[in-house]
Amino acid sequence: MNWQEILEFSRGPMFYGALLFFLAGMAYRLFAVISLGWSKDLAKPRGSKGAGVVKSFLRGGIIFPFFPREKSAYANNPIVYIAGGLFHLSLFVVVVLGTAHMLVWKSLVGIGWPTLPLPIVDWMAAVGIIAMVALIVNRAVHPVMKLLTGPAEVMSWLFVFLPMLTGYMMTHHMFFPYEVLYSLHMISINVMLVWIPLSRISHFMFYFFSRTQHGVEWGKRNAMP
Amino acid sequence: MPEETIYQSMKRKGVSRRDFLKLSGLFAMALGFEKLPPIEESGLPTTLDVKPKVVEPIVKAMESKPRLPVIWLEFQDCTGCSEALTRSNSPTLSSLVLNTLTIEHHEALSAAAGFQVEEAKQQAMKKYAGQYILVVEGSIPLANEGQYCVIGGRTALDILKEAAAGAAAIIATGSCASFGGLPKAKPNPTDAKGVWELITDKPVINIPGCPAIPEVTTGIIAHYALFGSLPELDGLHRPKAFYGVTVHDRCLRRPFYEAGKFALSFDDEGAKKGYCLYKLGCKGPTTYNSCATIKWDAGLSFPIQSGHPCLGCSEPNFWDGGGFYQGQSAPLERPEVTAVGAAVAVGAALGAGVAVANRNQKKAAEAPKGGSK
Amino acid sequence: MALESTMNLFVKKTGGEIASQLEACTRCGMCAEACPYYLATGKPEYTPIWKVEPLRKAYEQRFTIVGKIKLALGVEKPLTDADLKEWSKADFEACSVCGKCSAVCPMGIEISSLIATARAGITAAGFAPAGLVEKAETQQRTGSPNGAGEKEFADWYAALEAETGIKAPVDVKGADMLVVFTSLEIGSKKKNLYDLARILNAAGIKWTVSLKARDAFNMGSIIGNPKLQKELAGKILSTAKELGVKQLLVTECGHGFTTLRDAVPNVFGEELPFFVTHIAELLPNLIREGKIKVKEGYFANGHTYTFHDSCKIQRQGGIFDEPRYALKLLAGDTFKEMLPNREEALCCGGGGGMRSIPEANENRMAAFKLKLEQVERVGADVVVSTCDNCQLQLKDGFKHYNRPIEVKGLIEMVADSLVR
Repeated sequence: MNWQEILEFSRGPMFYGALLFFLAGMAYRLFAVISLGWSKDLAKPRGSKGAGVVKSFLRGGIIFPFFPREKSAYANNPIVYIAGGLFHLSLFVVVVLGTAHMLVWKSLVGIGWPTLPLPIVDWMAAVGIIAMVALIVNRAVHPVMKLLTGPAEVMSWLFVFLPMLTGYMMTHHMFFPYEVLYSLHMISINVMLVWIPLSRISHFMFYFFSRTQHGVEWGKRNAMP
Repeated sequence: MPEETIYQSMKRKGVSRRDFLKLSGLFAMALGFEKLPPIEESGLPTTLDVKPKVVEPIVKAMESKPRLPVIWLEFQDCTGCSEALTRSNSPTLSSLVLNTLTIEHHEALSAAAGFQVEEAKQQAMKKYAGQYILVVEGSIPLANEGQYCVIGGRTALDILKEAAAGAAAIIATGSCASFGGLPKAKPNPTDAKGVWELITDKPVINIPGCPAIPEVTTGIIAHYALFGSLPELDGLHRPKAFYGVTVHDRCLRRPFYEAGKFALSFDDEGAKKGYCLYKLGCKGPTTYNSCATIKWDAGLSFPIQSGHPCLGCSEPNFWDGGGFYQGQSAPLERPEVTAVGAAVAVGAALGAGVAVANRNQKKAAEAPKGGSK
Repeated sequence: MALESTMNLFVKKTGGEIASQLEACTRCGMCAEACPYYLATGKPEYTPIWKVEPLRKAYEQRFTIVGKIKLALGVEKPLTDADLKEWSKADFEACSVCGKCSAVCPMGIEISSLIATARAGITAAGFAPAGLVEKAETQQRTGSPNGAGEKEFADWYAALEAETGIKAPVDVKGADMLVVFTSLEIGSKKKNLYDLARILNAAGIKWTVSLKARDAFNMGSIIGNPKLQKELAGKILSTAKELGVKQLLVTECGHGFTTLRDAVPNVFGEELPFFVTHIAELLPNLIREGKIKVKEGYFANGHTYTFHDSCKIQRQGGIFDEPRYALKLLAGDTFKEMLPNREEALCCGGGGGMRSIPEANENRMAAFKLKLEQVERVGADVVVSTCDNCQLQLKDGFKHYNRPIEVKGLIEMVADSLVR
């Protein structure tokens, strides 16, 4: 089996299988949680729940990662919000606004969109990789992070980091021929796709649940700024 | 009587000393010798400014080496590689090599036919046993005992093995002979193979491409003729000098890629302005070849320059590497709506199963404490 | 056995709310930086989300396939009694359920309510701290955690006439407003009744107190005993309905207020026929609406005032602006804001029953030190709070650290500056 065949396998059947597993797994996770049901809140609202939800997402999505409103709350653990925020920005720029990835989306969902010039995407990818390294170091060093980090967290980190690393190496033709890096990139992505439904990387789905609930709860009490 | 050298043969055919030196420079260029002006930027230039010490060994070799016998076999092919060779106009090195190096046997170019040509081949193989270069064009089928390609009552595999036995080295020209090419495309009904998968006891050089760039094929032949050795090869047995970088790396539209300027259709403003064809499915980034530097038709143009995305024809299994106009990075298969639906349904069913169990669990937890809610 | 009742409670409580929030956690550890007990002690096991571990384990192992696989593979151990006992320390002795963690969680997880559920599980197993258990039993027996019964309250109501000449309206049917005090006030701040009576009368409100619904304090909420919570809140609910009031005023109790306003409707499965309000909301509104008149700048007398945001009334009650309106009116420019404030405010350190747990004293005072630093940073010598429990904690703390800083309630300030 040569690399070309490995590449074909990892871009073809393996990716196909991983994608379907991912979809099935996420459907399971979503369905299992939704079916538990939400109870109706009978308390009298003191403020607008809808406005609370909007504020909740604005705070969570925009303000949180980059503009901590209150320095003291993060003074001891700044890496989480700086590196965490940069990582997610990098993820968005690379995976959504990178031309190569846009073409993947286009081939899967049928629509494309304008993308950013390569140097910007490339720098953001480097930023993301550095942020990921900072995050894992932080997990190994910070006492709270040490306590919260189990094997699953390390694996989640690894399975997200490998596609980033191989992707970066691929665009720069580092160390190995292109098809080798492309294969490794695809294989690591496939592993990640399978791992997502089994792990906490699935937070991208439940984020919308928890943020909405937060907004409803705080909006109802008019406790949102 | 000592055999005629390459130089002598050329001189006899009326090539002047000046043209001969020029040609030597061309060889040095095509072979990717170091310390030359970067070939990648110029392709094959019409004027040469080559330091003599680089050209010198070539001149010497051409003056002293005897001509190199070449036997050219065709199997499951389209003769496109041969056609490309003959179309590469004089006075390029291709025609010169063809004329001056002895092509002892070539079915398509041979004036003779039938038994005569077979006879001539056998004689040549006997005469130059252990010295000749075997050039193979086309893939070799193995299915049904190889009967999908039979020439003169013998299977392609048989002919190849016979010819390979006496060859000094084998050059597989074109994607078919290298990696199976079009005949090997799914579902590969003839079980087509590339030469290097079948012949393991002789050096095999792959010059993939559809067709192979003639200057590369002849360049390799010339290299062997001049130096009696093969150039440095990569893991896929491709000469590094020609397959070291991707088409994308040397593409004249590369700056547009970096700047994120893309043609989105073949007739839009971007296409007219010569923007990058990546979004139209260009496979340049994954394709190792020298199209962008050597180009075609004596350095006139190459597909991307002419406005068509690279198909990646020199990559193994390129026919199965996704649609020609589909993004290079796209997965090979797009799951059908039904498959996606089925996956989601399986997940949801699993979720529903768990949900039922969980609800029963909750009911059971609420029951013993008394009081239904 | 103990574990079984815990599991039972967790399973019962787990719905989409809890499940989706547990699934959303990325273990980023940001909540630790919000927790006053972690910040004060540096102990990683005080990380808010770590306090939820028993609930998370129970959820994963009872509700999810991955959790069951993990259990079968031995990657994760099942929940044990020993776990619950251990977590009792972090959940009760280093948590005031102040909810600051919920405010900083990047995923928006209501960590404090998850902790409250975890606490309920620990209580169900019988591992709640002895101090709290004792108070809960006392309240179940007498009606108030400090043992104040009907007689004590009756005496207090009677004392109103002697103090102010106002006859306390007790269990008056057809009153507009039922006022519910707390047993903390009867213990240390009897004056609140006298002050409030003057204010309400000045505003012309038809109010009443009750001997049945006399204490807003709810040990069931604090300790996490749903049955007790329902029983205690039920008394107030039924009395309010019986008297036909339109408003229920909680005086200086924090958790009692949110329990009545936000939890009770869902516990009893009905919308309340009356409006639940708090003095922090009512008094400034009365001033704003002109129903009572206060002397503006009455407290602008050389002191520097600051306002302590209580977790239940401000952060979880949403009553930020009203007390500030009153304070700006009364203290003028001498009112200064602590940083951070409002929904990001730092806990006083003594909520969630912490003051009833002797083992928690060290943590309580350590966390208070952070508050003290905040107070001193703005240079305040009077701290105003609308929560009785906070006031007691602040007083304890200032005494502990020997600081001559005064603690004031909003009721007394409004009453003192009242213009007849």
